[in-house]
Amino acid sequence: KNEQKRRAKQEAAAKAKAEKAAAKAAADAAEPSKPKAAAAAAAGDEEEEEEEDAGKYFESRLAYVNGIKAAGGNAYPHKFHTSMQIPTYVAKYAEAVAPGAFAEETGVALAGRVLSKRSGGRGLVFLDLVGEGAKVQVFADASKFPEWEGLDKEARNAKFIALMTTLKRGDVIGVTGTPGKTRRGELSLFPSSMLLLTPCLHMLPKSAPGRPALVDKEIRYRQRYLDLMVNPATRHNFITRTKIVNFVRRFLDMHGFLEVETPMMNAIPGGATARPFITKHNELNLDMYMRIAPELYLKMLIVGGLDRVYEIGRLFRNEGMDLTHNPEFTTCEFYWAYQDYNDLIKFTEEMLSQMVLNICGSYKIKLHPEPKDGQEPKVLEIDFTPPFARISMISGLEDKLGEKMPMPLEGDEANAWLLQQCKKHNVECKPPHTTARLLDKLVGEFLESQCLNPTFICDHPKIMSPLAKDHRDLPGLTERFELFANYHEMCNAYTELNDPVEQRARFASQAKDKAAGDDEAMFVDEGFVTALEYGLPPTAGWGMGIDRLTMLLTDNESIKEVLLFPAMRPVGMPADQSVGCL
Amino acid sequence: GGGARGPAAGWPTGRGGVCMMCTAGGDVAVAELEAAIKAQGETVRKLKAAEDKDKEAIGRAVAELLALKAQLSTGAPPPAAPPPPSASKQGGPSVPQSGGSGGGGDSGNAGQEKKGGGVGGEAAELSEGELFQRRLQKAEALAAAGQLPYAYGYSRTHLSDAFAAEFEHLLAGDVDEKAEVSLCGRVMTKRLFGKLAFLTVQDSSGTFQLYLDKKTLGPDFKLFLDLADAGDFVGASGSVKRTDKGELSVFAHRVQILTKALRPLPDKFKGLSDVNKRYRQRYLDMIVNPHVRQTFATRARITAFIRRYLDGRGFLEIETPSLNSQPGGAEAKPFETHHNALGLNLTLRIATELYLKRLIIGGIDRVYELGRIFRNEGISTRHNPEFTSIELYQAYADYEDMMNLTEELISGAAEAACGSTQLQYQGTPIDLSRPWRRATMAELVMEKVPTFDFYKLRERDGGSDIASAGPALAEAAAAAAAAASAAAAASVEQKRGGTSCR
Repeated sequence: KNEQKRRAKQEAAAKAKAEKAAAKAAADAAEPSKPKAAAAAAAGDEEEEEEEDAGKYFESRLAYVNGIKAAGGNAYPHKFHTSMQIPTYVAKYAEAVAPGAFAEETGVALAGRVLSKRSGGRGLVFLDLVGEGAKVQVFADASKFPEWEGLDKEARNAKFIALMTTLKRGDVIGVTGTPGKTRRGELSLFPSSMLLLTPCLHMLPKSAPGRPALVDKEIRYRQRYLDLMVNPATRHNFITRTKIVNFVRRFLDMHGFLEVETPMMNAIPGGATARPFITKHNELNLDMYMRIAPELYLKMLIVGGLDRVYEIGRLFRNEGMDLTHNPEFTTCEFYWAYQDYNDLIKFTEEMLSQMVLNICGSYKIKLHPEPKDGQEPKVLEIDFTPPFARISMISGLEDKLGEKMPMPLEGDEANAWLLQQCKKHNVECKPPHTTARLLDKLVGEFLESQCLNPTFICDHPKIMSPLAKDHRDLPGLTERFELFANYHEMCNAYTELNDPVEQRARFASQAKDKAAGDDEAMFVDEGFVTALEYGLPPTAGWGMGIDRLTMLLTDNESIKEVLLFPAMRPVGMPADQSVGCL
Repeated sequence: GGGARGPAAGWPTGRGGVCMMCTAGGDVAVAELEAAIKAQGETVRKLKAAEDKDKEAIGRAVAELLALKAQLSTGAPPPAAPPPPSASKQGGPSVPQSGGSGGGGDSGNAGQEKKGGGVGGEAAELSEGELFQRRLQKAEALAAAGQLPYAYGYSRTHLSDAFAAEFEHLLAGDVDEKAEVSLCGRVMTKRLFGKLAFLTVQDSSGTFQLYLDKKTLGPDFKLFLDLADAGDFVGASGSVKRTDKGELSVFAHRVQILTKALRPLPDKFKGLSDVNKRYRQRYLDMIVNPHVRQTFATRARITAFIRRYLDGRGFLEIETPSLNSQPGGAEAKPFETHHNALGLNLTLRIATELYLKRLIIGGIDRVYELGRIFRNEGISTRHNPEFTSIELYQAYADYEDMMNLTEELISGAAEAACGSTQLQYQGTPIDLSRPWRRATMAELVMEKVPTFDFYKLRERDGGSDIASAGPALAEAAAAAAAAASAAAAASVEQKRGGTSCR
């Protein structure tokens, strides 16, 4: 209980802050935005509320609710029968009704949240009712309520005012009435009855013209419901996210893939290089790792004869948070027997270009990155028209550096050369200076920086790719690609290594790196090698991060914008740049 | 022993740890051997690439290479310690292998061809380690013969079911010379009849027969049959023939090994009766018991239907966090974990309820999440530490609406997944057709205990009443639970409306 109180207080305080800012902006923006009638009768109750202290507002609302309960009433009715959702209402009547006219139907029932309330003079109140991303005006006229038909005007108005003062901005209400349009052509519902369904005990953040109602990221992320309520763009981001996932699912289903679910708690974290979360199964007294990739399980299913499998699901990595990292995130991985990475390049081009066309309406999308200090805002255009550019990693890097890389990459000479190149070009690489890590830094500096438009970086060295198959033509390299767009990795795919002897050797070399202090090297998974010994047919595999793709297609620069409830540091813990914020 | 675990009972053998250690320990020696093997492999390759091939030298080099390989595998963990835990439980060194049904290949010596109709299995007297060695040598021999033991891909024209459908009209004994088909899959059995051989090959849609004829294939006939074993992936292209006995076959003009399997398949009849092994090595289960795949295809159809149904009714699928700073939405023991960078303890979600309701508050009026839930509880035939549930929330609806939705959702899923609402569950018929019976708990109790009325408890100080009704109540509760679990089993594990709880 105390915790509840404490939290209520905290939220109230946070909101008061937002309210103040919003109120100030509203005052700055001033009158012209308001309808004439409202301006004339500006002494509406809403104005008073704005002045009111958030704490007092909460208390008075709670007192009102308690009053209803004490009187034996129901402040939270169990059921309100709606006849349609608001978007349906808008679609149905927006064209069908002429300005100043009514539809033939009566008794249409809508429910939604009151996002604004304006007094329109005696016996008139206008409310904006929103639901499922759509808005409709409620044109409440005291003379249109059958309940009060016998009363004189004064008594009627008194009843009307009494009802309207109980309906506050933020409340969820049910309205029954006649669809119609005002003379100015605004689609409205003309109510014959109105009912409070859920009182909102807090004041909502307010918007002002040209400025979102809620900009404070702390509040937006921690109380995503407020963000969703008042900032329509947020809702749009998450609808796009769902569209992306649905598209991927449909695309893979259409190509005969089977969606499966593999364990999220593993005895050995495999399939990627990352620090895992550790947890413990009490009854078995067993330490488990949260999965860092589903790869090994999915390949075991290919061994089992499911020739096309995919999984869309959560992965967990115990790492710091930043603009592109959250401790849990969503990926899609698929595996396809008898295909190789060349097939997957074409498949990826087809999937992504069709997705972008389908969701964004064009192969080309525009990004508006936040301008860095002192720079002009710029607009980036990314073109998903297939085919995408391709760069072979080593030869691409040699082109950029103007020198030949010593081979083999496993040798000391290559390592020394890479270290020297890093120094020469001021590319920072923290120890341990393994060849894989040095190479990764140089590729980031010289190749990934070229990848605004979708670009495949191909043919990674074996030392960077413990699960990828040897390149059939290029010694020391593998048949692998990563797709970059807007300089970020989108996809990672390869022809799968299916020679168990070679796989065991690669794991052994990873174990060596681990012993040398690279704690991101892979664990050895004997069970997986055993599965390979039963025969993995020629297979290509592919992974894509859903969060980053959503960032790209919704023009967002932070992963937090595409996670409904991003990981946040506990309230009160100071933000630390090296840690990001959780 | 690491990761080959089914979802249900996938934990501790201790083997994972042990093996990791031996790999790490024998590292250096293994690495040296592997380097030697690689060098020798290079030599072989060079010899073979040379203009004027010295066959004798190639032969010597290959032999040396094989010897090295053998050394590697006796010294290194895989073949030395392979018998899986279940094998030792079954007792006896002659581990599961394709005795009767398997391929007459692993005996390795050239003699197989002579057997008429021989199914002479992989010599039963060989240990699993020796079998592994033989297959490894065959992989090497393939490479030596200039073929990849692990091919890069294969393009097929037909799956086995499409193949069977397309050539259904072909009469026994006929050949469709004009047809050009390519099929691939895993060899399940191999039968030799002198100059003919028949392989049963399994792909994701069923099996097909591969008809190999020495006259057509020439020297490849022997090479292929010497090196291919049951368990290998092969690809074959050619025309189509129905044998005199009526078996539709790919009449191979070209055949190749796509992936050499180093371990023999478990015996179909005794190998996988062990439930533990079936769950731990689900892939073996799926190979030997193809109907197991159907279970997972059905599962996918169920979730696909649920999504389609809810999307069609305007629900938005979303994702909420699995890592929570405090558990909520249900009463269950959570898994705990720790975020290093923040020094923060977290728990894995035990329900999605509280997050989803926040989204209803945010104005997403119809919302659902289909995903994994974690509960730190015992494992049983009905409980796994992680399981999949769907929760959905619908604004302006009540539990009557949820009952309607549940009926539609589950009976619809049954139609989509099983083609009918009349199910046989563990031998018991269950009728899922609508409408379903609706009864209050009080009514159900009264049916079993006519003298006991729940509603009256409110009015009395009824402690003694409850005690006296105890046994009868327990019986009624058991009946209700049985009914409930039968319904749940017909669809996904857990099902929630906007209101119910586990």
